[in-house]
Amino acid sequence: MRRGRGRVNRVLLGLIGVVLFGVGGLVLLGGLDLPAKWHLGLPAGWPWSRPDQVLLPARQRTRWTDQGWWWPVVIAALAVFLLLMLWWLLTQLRRHRLTEILVDSGDGEGAQLRGRALEAALTAESEALDGVDGAGVLLTGRRGEPHVRAVLALAPHADPGTVVRRLSDEAMAHARRSAGLDRLPAEVRLRAVKHRPERVS
Amino acid sequence: MSDEDAERSDTRRLPTLDKTPDGTEGPDGTGGATPAAADAPGTGAADHHRIRRFRSARRVPAALAALVLLAAAGLLLYDVAAVRANRPAMTWRRWLARELGTRHLDNPWVLGAAALAVVLGIWLVVSAVTPGLRQVLPMRPAAPDTRAGLDRAAAALVLRDRAMEVAGVQSVRVAVSRRKAKTHAVSHFRELDEVRADLDTSLGEGLRQLGLAHELRLTVDVRRPKKR
Repeated sequence: MRRGRGRVNRVLLGLIGVVLFGVGGLVLLGGLDLPAKWHLGLPAGWPWSRPDQVLLPARQRTRWTDQGWWWPVVIAALAVFLLLMLWWLLTQLRRHRLTEILVDSGDGEGAQLRGRALEAALTAESEALDGVDGAGVLLTGRRGEPHVRAVLALAPHADPGTVVRRLSDEAMAHARRSAGLDRLPAEVRLRAVKHRPERVS
Repeated sequence: MSDEDAERSDTRRLPTLDKTPDGTEGPDGTGGATPAAADAPGTGAADHHRIRRFRSARRVPAALAALVLLAAAGLLLYDVAAVRANRPAMTWRRWLARELGTRHLDNPWVLGAAALAVVLGIWLVVSAVTPGLRQVLPMRPAAPDTRAGLDRAAAALVLRDRAMEVAGVQSVRVAVSRRKAKTHAVSHFRELDEVRADLDTSLGEGLRQLGLAHELRLTVDVRRPKKR
């Protein structure tokens, strides 16, 4: 789910980048008179090939304005684009969070587990681990296949490798078992709590 | 999930995974991990997930781009609709139409705007293609379904704490880049060479304990404190 948003963002940003780069590059090419200097044989319909041209001649701008279909089409296209951009903006602001998980009890009757409850249990168990100062756990993904995102703050003198191993062996394993899930993928980020240098030995 | 499937489909055994068992032997001695915990990296290596960098969702550039485009499209739509309702066009639109129709391409403003568009376009394409999150170092998988990353600042703090345990070290600065860990220590007693050797072994073990997918290269620099 989150990966999906990342992919959409990257595709759209790349698209905008390519358009900006292309238009800017074409204008620079024509404005600096590079086709003539480099003796490039440009095709006939090439826009902006000489420095004495303008960006958008009035004739081009008003080419279709007297046609009956032009303004309704412009307005419809702008409206669709506007809605698309609104959706894109809102998906950035919304934080996807799982409210409930389907628990398969094995007797044909499913149960629902509140996402917050599992998050709270995971947070408490992570914070109880040796070498963890604080934890924040978020459930994402879908109801049938939840996904855990955790941020752990490492205590001074913690051992990151051991912390991750114990997290997956204890807190994650308990959560997976109690929710009856086959797999519970997790993404863990370890941060450190700033502290002063001191000797322990 | 689709990303998990993608991970499965092109799994390759990375050379770093082969080092997993002996790499985790170190913390077991000092960290007091259970035998069950020691077995976990083995299963992780057997599942051979590819270790990839953490990828940013690029939320901030996306939100900015969406906001700018939304505002521009909204303003234009409002004005087009207003003109259709027999109201005069806004000044900016008449000004823009006039400028676009009269300014030549070699005008400095046009060239400047084009250069800005090119730079912005390159930046957007680069940010779309690169993973981002350069401050997160990916760790070796401890379990099949767990992906972990360690912040560079956290790695530096862990190494600094280890370096402070070496006898003779008065103060130490650790800078962790994405591939290197540079340590500058100040030693006020013992031979510098001895301190350096101790730091080398201690930090080398510390680096292994970090459990990173690509182990950092270590440089150690030891000096005497400045005379006052």
